[in-house]
Amino acid sequence: MRSASAGPADAPPFVLTESGQAGLVVAAANRTALELGIAPGLRFTDARARAPQLLSGEIDRAADAQGLQALAAWMVRWTPLTALDGLDGLMLETTGCDHLHGGEAAMVAALSQRLTRAGYMHRIGLAGTPGAASALARAAAREGVPALLPEGTERDGLAELPVAALRLSNEAVTLLRRFGLTRVGQLYDIDRKALARRFQSRDMADATCLRLDQALGLRIEPLRPLQPPPAHAARLPCPDPIASTEGVAEGLRQLTKTLCADLAQLGEGARSFAFHAFKSDGEVSSLAVTAARPVRTPAHIQRLFRERLNSIDPGFGIDLLLLEARRTGPMSVSAVALSGDLAASDTDDAALAALADRIVAKLGPGSVQVNTPQESHTPDRAEHWHPYDVVLPPPCHTRATPGPRPVRMLSHPERVDVIAEVPDGPPLRFVWRRVVRTVSRADGPERINPEWWRSLPPVVGTGKMPRARDYYRIEDSKGGRYWLFRDGLYDDDRGAAPEWYVQGLFA
Amino acid sequence: MDLATLKAKGIVRAQTARPPVRAVFPFGLVQSGVHELAETRFGDMPALTGFALAARAEGRNANRAGAILWITQAGLGLEHGRVPDSALRAFSAHHTPRLVVRPGKLADALWTIEEAIASSAVSLIVAEISDADFTATRRLALASGRHGVPVILLMPYGREGTTAAEARWRIAPRPSAPNRYDPRAPGASRWHAVLERSRTAPHLAGHSFDLEWNDETLSLTVVSGLAAGQAAPPAPPRRGPPDALGIRRAG
Repeated sequence: MRSASAGPADAPPFVLTESGQAGLVVAAANRTALELGIAPGLRFTDARARAPQLLSGEIDRAADAQGLQALAAWMVRWTPLTALDGLDGLMLETTGCDHLHGGEAAMVAALSQRLTRAGYMHRIGLAGTPGAASALARAAAREGVPALLPEGTERDGLAELPVAALRLSNEAVTLLRRFGLTRVGQLYDIDRKALARRFQSRDMADATCLRLDQALGLRIEPLRPLQPPPAHAARLPCPDPIASTEGVAEGLRQLTKTLCADLAQLGEGARSFAFHAFKSDGEVSSLAVTAARPVRTPAHIQRLFRERLNSIDPGFGIDLLLLEARRTGPMSVSAVALSGDLAASDTDDAALAALADRIVAKLGPGSVQVNTPQESHTPDRAEHWHPYDVVLPPPCHTRATPGPRPVRMLSHPERVDVIAEVPDGPPLRFVWRRVVRTVSRADGPERINPEWWRSLPPVVGTGKMPRARDYYRIEDSKGGRYWLFRDGLYDDDRGAAPEWYVQGLFA
Repeated sequence: MDLATLKAKGIVRAQTARPPVRAVFPFGLVQSGVHELAETRFGDMPALTGFALAARAEGRNANRAGAILWITQAGLGLEHGRVPDSALRAFSAHHTPRLVVRPGKLADALWTIEEAIASSAVSLIVAEISDADFTATRRLALASGRHGVPVILLMPYGREGTTAAEARWRIAPRPSAPNRYDPRAPGASRWHAVLERSRTAPHLAGHSFDLEWNDETLSLTVVSGLAAGQAAPPAPPRRGPPDALGIRRAG
């Protein structure tokens, strides 16, 4: 399948240019320009010589690629397996999908009709192998006239096509033409060894043979889909396009029921769901939600989507709804304890996971976090925050902290100006956040040495030497309690005079 | 109309009676309903946190166990720092798992609280939020009453105005208790808590409590106003050699 933006039939000739090796080159041309013989690859000066009134603009490859990606996403309504084919083509694996649309011919006709309505110039080829389909689309099909080839007839069907349709490099095509080989059919009868010998490089020969074999189905060409196919999907075509959010919600309700029934039959649940709403004007809105553990409860899945269902704009109407389930896995179907006394733990994991799912659906992935304690004396390293995924961290079995620890830890130690006894007395007065605080009582120091096995001197990146920290528990005259530390000792020969920081606050 | 008809029409509903909250300290804090703790001055958030954790240890009741949900509005977390798990361990003898959510906006934080109450999956919700109007607190109070999940709101010093919460406490740190082993060192934490509003004990509104946290028995005691001052003689100015202090090595 191949597509390109089109203009009205009577538009002035217009081309998009890009800079090639020898100046500007035509990259794409509209219908009028094509009729004048201006084809992609022509030098821009030649093109202007043929059509002096030629209009031109610079091609935006990035935007084109983005547009093609969006179109590929929309193609999910025909098949879950869509892939990009070069800069201007899309490859759809429609095996087993055509019966949903009434056969291959009917499906291609419907696809063509929708693309035309959305304003895409396109050529469609359909064949048993990706190579053959690509060759048909690029060489045999015309606008509005799709080329269909029944499975198993690739050899005959491709015989009359030019060799350039086989996705060969320009050099290979030129070389083949020099030998008088212009049609694909001419390649069939030539001995492979003889064919390979005519090429200068082995790579080019291999590539030519590979493309030929792929087109004929002798070698398998794997499709690299943009999205891995979902484990399960449910679709709801709407003969009368939906124009309201309530309608979308109702459609989602039906789809979740169908999908969950499918999952229940297999005894599975899914951790990720994607909901696509295809609009009649050729756009698609998609929502995705994730669950912390495999689920298949329709009400729960609907609740995850509900908060964001408003972001689907029905526009001129939605004519197809699609719900996909990904990352399926077996459900843990352990029985719920009859009473709290019999439960293995205090927490209800299922309810907690459901709550986390809803929060994540609303606030974004990774918004619910848990902490796994680490075996480290350095306060910065004692905690490890990570997204919650059903498993609650085990209770901390490390022995009690060596000293009192603050109830609040600042995200980064904050520098303070301190008046303290040298070399290792507690502070007498310090300025933190521009407020002078007079120390009334102090306890310390508690020395925490750097972990030599982690930070071999000098510390990578900063080039500084790791220094021991002396922590003091400080109370100021107003009752505020702080955890200050002096970063380094005066006589450790590891840099300038040590500085003071606030690490945390006591209750 | 007999009782069966009333029940069928939904006018009368069978409901298990909840134990009434006794009008004694801490007035149902951590046990049921929504309670607000507000700073007295900017920077009293550690005292608030300590008071909430202490009240949790004190009011720990048998009928609810399970995880804590800790919600911190993003900006507040940067200002006052985060609450490490070691703090929870220091204030409680039991291990309690904790989930932390850091929503960016107040509306998201309130939504999260309400959602967590409705799920009944957690035993306690502690939320640090910048503000909440009467409607928001009313919603939370109704939800909390219906599902029986207690909520503590930690709010900044600017918190004023009406609320539908069970109570509003205003907390300030006090100089700590004298340290028996080292008069120059801070002792047990003390806080000054004013019960600004209370639905359980309206007659006690404005009453203040001086509280002391004992980190060995994990209990909160009310200290008399007299003892709240500096009982030990003030620390003599230090003139001795600095090595008089024992240095504990770690790491």
